[in-house]
Amino acid sequence: MNPHALHSHSRRNFLRGGTTLLALPFLESLGFRRFASAAKASTAPPKRMVFVGMGFGVTRETWFPDTATTGADYELPEGLKPLQRHKKDITVIQNLSNQFSNEAHWGSTFWLTGANRYAEPGQSFHNSISADQVAAEALGKETRFTSIQLGSETAGTSGHGPGLSLAWNRQGKPVAGLNNPTLAFHKLFSDETMPLAQRQALLQQKRSVLDSVMENAKSFSRGLNRSDTDKLDEYFQSVREIETRLSKEEQWLGVSKVQPNDPVKEPGEGLAGSEEIKLMYDLMIAAMQVDATRVFTYRQPVTSLIKSLGGTISAHNMSHYQPGMRMEVSQKRDRKNSELLAHFIDKLKASKEPDGTSLYDHVSLSFGSNINSIHYLTNCPTLITGGGSGVKHGRHLVLENPKTPLCNLWLSLLQGAGMEMEAHGDSSGVLDELFVG
Amino acid sequence: MVGVVVFGPASLLAESDSVPTAIMPEKHFAVLEKYCLDCHDAATEKGKVNLEDLSFDLGSLETAELWQKVLNSLNSGEMPPEDKKQVSAGEKTLFLDDLSHQLVTARKILSDSGGAITMRRLNRREYKNTIRDLLGVDVDVADLPDDAGSGGFDTAGGSLFFSSDQLERYLTLGRKALDSAMVPIPIPSRPETRKVRIEAETEANKRITGILRGYHMGGYRKYMMWKASKGRPASDFGLVDDKEMAFRKLAWDRNAPQYIDYLTRAETKTGALLTIGGNLCPQVPAVIPDEMPAGNYKLRAHIGTMPKMPSERTFVEIGYRGDRIDGAMDLIDCRKVSGTVAKPQTIEFDLTLRPPKNPLKEDVGTETKKVVMLGDRVVVFRERQPNVRGSNVYRNNLAREQTGFGVEPALWIDWVEWEGPIYESKKEWPPKSHREIFFQGSDAELTDAYVRKIIERFAGRAFRGREASAAFIDKLMAQYSDQIARDVPAYEAIKAPLAVILASPAFLYLAEPAGEEKRRELTDLEMAVRLSYFLWSSPPDEELNRVAREGKLKHPAVLSEQTTRLLADPRSWEFVSGFTHQWLTMDRLDFFQYNYRLYPEFDDSIKRAARAEVYHTIDQILRENRSIGELLKSDTVVINDVLADFYDIPGVKGDTFRRVKVPKDHPRGGLLGTVAVLAMGSDGERSSPVERGSWVMRKLLNDPPPPAPANVPQLSRHAGKLFPARELLLAHMEEAQCAQCHRKIDPIGYGLENFNAAGQWRETEYTEIAAQNRVKKSKEHPIDASGTLPDGTKFVGFYELRDQIAKQEDAFARGFTEALIAYGLGRPFGFSDYDLAEEILAGAKTNENRMNQFVHALVKSKPFRMK
Repeated sequence: MNPHALHSHSRRNFLRGGTTLLALPFLESLGFRRFASAAKASTAPPKRMVFVGMGFGVTRETWFPDTATTGADYELPEGLKPLQRHKKDITVIQNLSNQFSNEAHWGSTFWLTGANRYAEPGQSFHNSISADQVAAEALGKETRFTSIQLGSETAGTSGHGPGLSLAWNRQGKPVAGLNNPTLAFHKLFSDETMPLAQRQALLQQKRSVLDSVMENAKSFSRGLNRSDTDKLDEYFQSVREIETRLSKEEQWLGVSKVQPNDPVKEPGEGLAGSEEIKLMYDLMIAAMQVDATRVFTYRQPVTSLIKSLGGTISAHNMSHYQPGMRMEVSQKRDRKNSELLAHFIDKLKASKEPDGTSLYDHVSLSFGSNINSIHYLTNCPTLITGGGSGVKHGRHLVLENPKTPLCNLWLSLLQGAGMEMEAHGDSSGVLDELFVG
Repeated sequence: MVGVVVFGPASLLAESDSVPTAIMPEKHFAVLEKYCLDCHDAATEKGKVNLEDLSFDLGSLETAELWQKVLNSLNSGEMPPEDKKQVSAGEKTLFLDDLSHQLVTARKILSDSGGAITMRRLNRREYKNTIRDLLGVDVDVADLPDDAGSGGFDTAGGSLFFSSDQLERYLTLGRKALDSAMVPIPIPSRPETRKVRIEAETEANKRITGILRGYHMGGYRKYMMWKASKGRPASDFGLVDDKEMAFRKLAWDRNAPQYIDYLTRAETKTGALLTIGGNLCPQVPAVIPDEMPAGNYKLRAHIGTMPKMPSERTFVEIGYRGDRIDGAMDLIDCRKVSGTVAKPQTIEFDLTLRPPKNPLKEDVGTETKKVVMLGDRVVVFRERQPNVRGSNVYRNNLAREQTGFGVEPALWIDWVEWEGPIYESKKEWPPKSHREIFFQGSDAELTDAYVRKIIERFAGRAFRGREASAAFIDKLMAQYSDQIARDVPAYEAIKAPLAVILASPAFLYLAEPAGEEKRRELTDLEMAVRLSYFLWSSPPDEELNRVAREGKLKHPAVLSEQTTRLLADPRSWEFVSGFTHQWLTMDRLDFFQYNYRLYPEFDDSIKRAARAEVYHTIDQILRENRSIGELLKSDTVVINDVLADFYDIPGVKGDTFRRVKVPKDHPRGGLLGTVAVLAMGSDGERSSPVERGSWVMRKLLNDPPPPAPANVPQLSRHAGKLFPARELLLAHMEEAQCAQCHRKIDPIGYGLENFNAAGQWRETEYTEIAAQNRVKKSKEHPIDASGTLPDGTKFVGFYELRDQIAKQEDAFARGFTEALIAYGLGRPFGFSDYDLAEEILAGAKTNENRMNQFVHALVKSKPFRMK
């Protein structure tokens, strides 16, 4: 298959043309839903990308395969054992890292961006667009949600670092996430009870709110010097972004949310830790089944995962493991993560597209962290799976350059999933070894 | 990196008619070549310092900073290294003489263009305070980004970013605050103050009896019948298998005695005993129903201690019920109980209740269903304990071996009570926040003209005196009319435009418009805003605004008077806590969970008090015109009863922080004796001489070691062996790249080794290897607290170390000044601030380094008054 081919060009162009002009009744009269499913049947199933960040790194002694055994002939180490049944469908990659990383507690902030925190003179923090948001720009046009960011309430203490989710927008600003399964469930599957006319009015109100703050921003910007104007530009950008979101909301206003064939139950209260992660994975599967979005990120809980495994130490304590109790907890966490991931892959494989292929065949899933282990930031733990980027799986790859940019992986996966782009973050090229061998 | 455009200061230009320059004479290249370039040439670049390409024109910040480095290393004798050829005294003198003079000139040149202050957005703390000031409402800002997270101070405008999600949050939060601040028109009757008392035993006894009879007795009965049946399967008796049978028997054996003991005690007939561990009565809840409005409430407990309880078991914790998994709670307060079961006392707390949270609506924007999150309205009372459930199980298991049932209960609660909302006065209604919006009184008809005035007036207040444009007000009026057209009642319709104001740039940013060409003095109003956000993290009050409107704030005497007034106001706590937390990097206190087995006393109540101790210490130094030297060494401490108990200082009753004399030969007094600073220098298990040493160098000696590089191997060569910390750190000396910094850092930490990870005094260091609370082996080591300071001064132990550090008050003052400048001006301290720091330091020194002098000097300084 040509990895650069984007599916359903015609439909995308149709929608793009209609974005601003197409009024809802017209969409409805076309029978939008029927039209959408018809389109789906006649073209290849859509590509999807999923990025799962685990915060604090792994137990290096028992998570990384032996570097002496590369290629297909390698043993899954203790921490990855639960993935044994998927061994031929996963790839473990070593020697990836972000060259600018220097924050030992920030497992997610720069994971998908590769940015240099100090790139902007006079600012103590800078970031750039994350790989998932790049994917969302291409893959998210046709779905109700351009992308979905999942998170957890204990993310703050789980070694992810600053950010609201794994996602950072074009301007390098954090994108908010849905921090518990209940919120995610309702966002994805619950329909508004409010009548359509009222919701249209509400959208109109939101637009006039933006219009008003823009008026204030314009008069406010008069007389500001250069650096202050640059600062205020962030505000203008934000308004524009919300405008784009509202346009999309308008497109989908009359379209009911699709329920999966195998409906997901509304999550009960107080789910946390491993149960919560499992449920988030299930919600992603359901969302893929109804094509609610094609790009997901998930910033996982660590603190509550440890608790749910019976551990009584904080995630940060665990990350500073030494042989003994802390290390045991760390290893237990690795195994549980692999178990949950294996379960996720099971479901991806079991869930069929109309053409008989599975969700697994078209998804590009990455699992890892910017933190290797303890406070090490080189050789970021990386596991990828799914057929979405055309990777030849079933191998353990130890890259030749011990500091290969993580962004080379993101670039490779994005290109593999059909995005025509030259670079991402600080990438220096694609990882050819992913696709051949 | 940064190219700095240098504009000559106008005055200098006028004098010399040319741009001033700072040029190091070419002849000095010989010195560099002879002594430095072996290592610091373009090819070697040792320490990333390349002196070969260094420009001799000091006119850019970059060049000047590098030359400053050269100066410092030569002055301190750090360079050339001991084993290299040394610069002769003669050459050195000439070189340094020229260099120091040229640097002074360079500083002057750079000071006019460096240090521009980028416009700043209200940070999270300021936003919260500003909304409170405007609307009298406490908003929950947890969903806004924590601006302190990315290094530097949260006042640094350049680093305070803005995103679309944030804009949506501001809109929601503003609307919520308005909902709480305003009441419908016509004004409904005032929500009645309710007082609800809950007899503690009612719920507890019912539940405990239920569990004992149902689960425990039921299980035991099944077990006995199963046993008697000799061979019938467990499922015949309603259980899964033999294993479950055995488990239920075990549960009965272990737990039933505690249930029976509890229910047969006389105290549980009239109240509830707070138990540790188990499912008995770990906490007594007071639940305030969702229909109760937000506002001020009082919570009370009628409580007493059981006879003969040791001091550490006489504290009650109050908090929001938190995490379901481990029973951890969100601590509000901790109080010492002086009443007894025979003579209980009433403990009372103030609580500001927020509207119930509906995250589904707020985060997802759907109205489909109301999801109420637990926590906000359930307040529980419990005995003080580590905030981890595992700790209670552990404690209860240990105690069972002694008592036969578990931990002996220490506290008894007769009843708990909530009362509210509580109004300031009997008549107060509608609330002040409402009256300030509808300023013509409750009866005034909401005509369009009046509504316009309301909006204009509110915008004026929200924009801190800056007038809103007519075009903006027109748009807001259009929104109002749109709501009216949709049959929204006028009092409700007006919230839409008001919420927009609270998400507008003029509200969210502290603006000081200025042209490109030259820096200008702030206007009085701008100065008022800068001053109040510096000292209150809040907008100016009426008086400050009045002084500014009258054009008097530029007058030095008035400015000084206002600064004194602002510092004396309780709102200056915002400065004290906000600044101190960041300056002393106190977020580290939350980095680790402290091992409850090794440090059972180090719980959330101590953490909370420890943090407050540092704030109160600084607060009192500021208020009582004391010297910052007291932070290095003092014969008094500022503590409450919780800390007095921890420090073993007698005679402190009550939870207010007050100044107390330290007993003789007691190690407390000064920052180095505070549990906060000491506990921050640990990982929750062991003390860390490295963390402590580098903290002292950064914060007290103003000699910050370079940031610890990532990817440095953890010292785990000795893992599995019982070495004292000091011995483990000797490994640092084996590697040059470690030794270079650690030979300075670690010895300071050694001097603090008499304090364990939780900041308690110790004579020996306990080390152990343990797994799941079982100690495999352990060892005690004598402590060697001797060491050497970076300047070569030796000390034999903690007290001498503290004395030596106390002598470095000048260095400490400089560090404090630099932090204050960065916080107050809203940008990182830069090279070009050198003169400002000198000016402040010189002034403070003639005033015995009194803390308020530093603040006054900064406020008076030119940079503080300039855009």
